[in-house]
Amino acid sequence: MKYVGRPIPRVEDELILRGKATYVDDVEIPGMLYAGFVRSPYAHARVLKVDFSDVLKTPGVVAAFGPGDGEPFSFAPGGKVRYQGEAVAMVVARDRYVLYDALEKVAVDYEPLPAVLDINDALRPDAPLVDESLGNNVVHDKVYEGGDPDRALKEADVVVEGRFVIQRIIPSAMEPRGVVAAYDGDVLTIWSSTQVPFDVRKEVARALGLPLSRVRAIQPFVGGAFGSKLLVYPEEVWVATAAYRLKAPVKWVATRSEDFKATTHGRALTLEYKVGASRDGRILAVTGTVYADAGAYYWGEGLADTAAQMLPGPYDIRHGRVRAVAVLTNKTPLSAYRGAGRPEATLFIERIMDHVADVLGMDRVEIRRRNLIRQLPYRNVFGITYDTGDYPTAFERGLERLGYRDLKRWADEEAKRGRIIGVGFSVYVEITTFGYETAVLRAERDGSFTLYTALTPHGQGLATALAQVVADELEIPMESIKVYWGDTAYVGDGIGTMGSRSITAGGSAAVLAARRLKQELAKAAEALLGCRPEYREGVFQCGGRSVSIAEMVKAVYRGKAEAQLTVEAIYHAEPTFPFGVHLAVVELDPETGFVKPLLYESYDDVGVVVNPLLAAGQVMGGALQGIAQALYEEAIYDETGNLVTSNLAFYYVPTAAEAPRYEVYFAEEPHPSKHPTGTKGVGEAATIASTPAVIMAVEDAMRRVKPGVRIDKTPITPEDVWRLLR
Amino acid sequence: MKIALRVNGVLHEVDVEPRKLLVHVLRELGYKSVRVGCDTATCGACTVLMDGRPVKSCNVLAVQADGAEIYTADYSDEVMEKLRDAFKRHHAAQCGFCTSGMLTTAYYLVRRGVKSEEEVVEGLSGVLCRCTGYQNIVNAVKEVAGL
Repeated sequence: MKYVGRPIPRVEDELILRGKATYVDDVEIPGMLYAGFVRSPYAHARVLKVDFSDVLKTPGVVAAFGPGDGEPFSFAPGGKVRYQGEAVAMVVARDRYVLYDALEKVAVDYEPLPAVLDINDALRPDAPLVDESLGNNVVHDKVYEGGDPDRALKEADVVVEGRFVIQRIIPSAMEPRGVVAAYDGDVLTIWSSTQVPFDVRKEVARALGLPLSRVRAIQPFVGGAFGSKLLVYPEEVWVATAAYRLKAPVKWVATRSEDFKATTHGRALTLEYKVGASRDGRILAVTGTVYADAGAYYWGEGLADTAAQMLPGPYDIRHGRVRAVAVLTNKTPLSAYRGAGRPEATLFIERIMDHVADVLGMDRVEIRRRNLIRQLPYRNVFGITYDTGDYPTAFERGLERLGYRDLKRWADEEAKRGRIIGVGFSVYVEITTFGYETAVLRAERDGSFTLYTALTPHGQGLATALAQVVADELEIPMESIKVYWGDTAYVGDGIGTMGSRSITAGGSAAVLAARRLKQELAKAAEALLGCRPEYREGVFQCGGRSVSIAEMVKAVYRGKAEAQLTVEAIYHAEPTFPFGVHLAVVELDPETGFVKPLLYESYDDVGVVVNPLLAAGQVMGGALQGIAQALYEEAIYDETGNLVTSNLAFYYVPTAAEAPRYEVYFAEEPHPSKHPTGTKGVGEAATIASTPAVIMAVEDAMRRVKPGVRIDKTPITPEDVWRLLR
Repeated sequence: MKIALRVNGVLHEVDVEPRKLLVHVLRELGYKSVRVGCDTATCGACTVLMDGRPVKSCNVLAVQADGAEIYTADYSDEVMEKLRDAFKRHHAAQCGFCTSGMLTTAYYLVRRGVKSEEEVVEGLSGVLCRCTGYQNIVNAVKEVAGL
């Protein structure tokens, strides 16, 4: 009855497909009030005065909070706002329509300050300061180094230099953020559209000086996140504080335009690189600087650092020095977006491989073949140890399975008919899984099991995947397991769903909990049966006698045997490293510069695949996000710091009409991680691999029109394509 | 203003401000499957069928729906159940936030007798999904439409 490896449809779907899944805006509590925020129209300004006298006279308005209200409110810290959309005040009213009228009545006096929007401007000595206390706009600067890069560059046959710019992305989860908080005089409960309810609970408890035991955070159904909901946001603390002070339930749900400014953006890294290679195509040294356009607050710690440390990718490069610099600008703070540093590292190194191949006149497959790491485990030049895999074999098999050469030939044939097709591929290794995760498993009187996970799924289908791994461990039908998630009343602490870590960290915690629970029950079974029992498919047996789990549990409650019926497992997970080859086919219209993605294929070694149906879902969705990064999406600010792409009408999230056909493959002989589940994670693989594959495909198509043309930024819009071809 | 509308076969009489949006009235009546994902009539998560045609209910004043017959993703009949079953088997929903809009739009396409994959894709292109990459949704709808 093994479940792992089978494409089982999701158990979560019943609620979703009947419209019964409860998202934060669906939480209704009698007497609920509605909160909204007055947000700065300026990118950088002193807040001179916030006047509530009109708004507090408005019928239906209950309260208003502003800079004068002190901690834990933190409006306009230091007396200024640093980005357009930063909150300066909060209004609470009885009705949403009243609320939005009332927000207009808050009078704020601003003194606009010069805004700095570009990292190059921000690095100038005379640049306006986003945070005066720093003395400049560099908020983080760290060098990663290994080997002897200077010597390697000196000895190289060729040295290639360049710059690649990755745009700002607005994560655009379909559900905007929102919070409901209620205080009944005993317990403060917060429902939030978040990936991190445990962090929300800790931060709210700290801010209000409440014991953790009296603060409960609930993650209801969450309509997508992609890393944009993995920080504790100020609004979570503010709404909770308002509910606590007013002793009334309070709800805030962002409008889309509000969410585009008040929810973190992603990507926005630039690499300046200088690499050395031998004439036969071996990369000897990679050096450079990764700049993060960090936005107004340094919330996205580690993004430039991850990109720097993973820059060598799946290639055996023995000398390197990469500096990771984060620069403050007057824009929405930067943080994680699906992949968070690894998509950038992969796009950078894949572009570098192509650049060096061009300089040497070498084939793009061949240069990768010559540089791929041959032996795992492998410690990269910056000290990160890749765990398992066989990259050369997976690379060759992947290209074969994806039909790379056939597609190139087909593109040649089509070219004869005047149709311009581009074929590109990418190779990646990525780092997933960190930290601890918690599972609590309880045996019920009827032989069923209740699993509480600290994971925080928001579309991944983890209730299904966790039931699969636990059912296999307990050798019982997966219908006997009910999985609950997203409530700090179930589990004391955990991290959550992010970084492709869930099934590896949280799944392994669940497997360990199941193993320990079996051991507990076995002790009791031994006492009951008088012999050391064997466990099989929900039954303990020895000496010709047997006892079922249901009978065991009842015996424990009756005092006839002793055992823990609830077991908690906290699993500490070391990183693990998926590998893969992805391929993209696009069609180019040279007259308009318009590029249409036709086909997207993937071949991944992600270790054990628990549920190929769900894993393929992750790949396809992730691929379209990476394709959109390559072709469509960009957060654009004007010279005053006004976000021009301020909602979904101006920011181009792809529709069904832009989506390519997908073909998803997993390695026939995967290399499992050393974790109990053997998994490596798949949530971000295609977001990481797709952008460089598409960029190579677009460049391939463009070179049929204009040989030698090179792409050095994302997105490559129709206008960019058109200009490059002129 | 007093208006009357029939939602999934049930008659509701409500008193609304003239500026009130249909999506808010439906949600306040308890039809929470009608979701709000944007403020520019772009995302399509609030799509319902109004007198047989898909509309973005954030772009309709409640008073415009006076006397209308509305169907939401909560509705159940043979076609809707077939769509649910196909969505589940094809793994066409991930976070689920767009799913109501996808289901109501798909219901319209199937009922109208959609003829080709291109028509399905074009028909669904008014509803944004950030999770799935669309292929599984398109395949689920094609299957129910007999394509």
